[in-house]
Amino acid sequence: MAKENMYQMCNRHRGKAVMIRTKDGKEHRGIIHHVDNRQVYLQPMNGGRNLGGFGYGYGGYGYRGRGFGLGIALGAIATLAVLPFFFW
Amino acid sequence: MDKTYLSCLAEFGIGGAHPGGLQLTKKLLTDERFDENTVVLDVGCGTGQTAAYLAKEFECQVIAIDNNPLMVEKAKERFVNLQKEINIEVADVQRLSFEKGSIDVILSESVLSFTDPTISIPEITRVLKENGRLFAIEMVLELPLNAEGRREISEFYGLGQIWTVEEWRRAFLASGLAVESIEVPDLEANSHDSETATDFSLSESIDEAFYDILSKHFVLTENYKDHLGVRIFKCMK
Repeated sequence: MAKENMYQMCNRHRGKAVMIRTKDGKEHRGIIHHVDNRQVYLQPMNGGRNLGGFGYGYGGYGYRGRGFGLGIALGAIATLAVLPFFFW
Repeated sequence: MDKTYLSCLAEFGIGGAHPGGLQLTKKLLTDERFDENTVVLDVGCGTGQTAAYLAKEFECQVIAIDNNPLMVEKAKERFVNLQKEINIEVADVQRLSFEKGSIDVILSESVLSFTDPTISIPEITRVLKENGRLFAIEMVLELPLNAEGRREISEFYGLGQIWTVEEWRRAFLASGLAVESIEVPDLEANSHDSETATDFSLSESIDEAFYDILSKHFVLTENYKDHLGVRIFKCMK
C-alpha cells in the first residue's frame, strides 16, 4: 500500500525537481523523468556538495543521463520533497 | 548551440524564469490601471508568460521581445490561443527599434542584469514616453564577493557586472529616470507550494550538458544565497 502511494506521488510530480531521501539516509536531487511500478527515475542534480569546482556524487547508483537516468526503488524511498526553484 | 545559462532556460522552456515567477509579476501589476491606449513592452519576455498574462488581464497593447529565437518561438506557441494579438519579435533591449517616446510601460524581469545596463537603461529611457514607467526585477549584490566568487557567478550566468542597489539606482538616475521605489520582494511566500513549483517540459532530446547547467545553477544559488539578492525598481521618466 505504501508503495502504491509512493508511485502515485512520484507520478504526480513528474517533470518537477524533487529531493528524495532513501531509507539508507542518502539524498538524491533531480527532475522526475519517469515512474514505473518498481522505480522512479531521476535526471540527477546532486549539487551542493562541492564548493567551487562542480562535482557529482552518485554513490553506488552509478550511471547517469542516458535513457531514464537514475533509478531509485520505490520501496527504498523514505521521503520525497518538491524543491523550490529559483531562476534569475 | 551555445550551452549557456540563458540557452538552458530556453531549452527547458521554463516559464516565469525570474525571481518570484508569475506570482510576483501579478503582485507587481496589481495596482496598475492600463487602458486600450497603454503600450506595454515586456523586454526579455522568455516563453511569454508575463506577456500572455498582460494580454488576458489588461486592456493594454502588448509588445514582447527576447533576444533568444527559441524563447520567441515558444512564446509564439503560447500566444496562439489568446484573443488579443501580441506583437513579438527577436530583438535586443540594447538596440530597440521603437521610436523615441513611444512606450508607456516597460517590464524587465531579470533582464537588464544580463545586458550591459549602461547601454540598455538609456535605450529603455529613450523609447519611454514622458512620465512612462519602468518596472525592473533585478539581481543585486547584497554582500561583497571575493574575486573568485565574482568570477564564478559572472562567467556562469554571463554577466558583465553584478551591481549593488546603489549602483542600479545611480544608473537609472544617470539616464534620466526618477527612482520611485526600491522594494525587496517576498520570494518565500509560494516557494514551497507544489502547485506553483516550476514545471519542466522535459524532452528526451535535451542535451545532457543542459542538465549540468541546471545543476550548477542549483549549486551557485545555494552557495551565494547571502551575496545575491533581488530588488524591484520602479522608475519614471
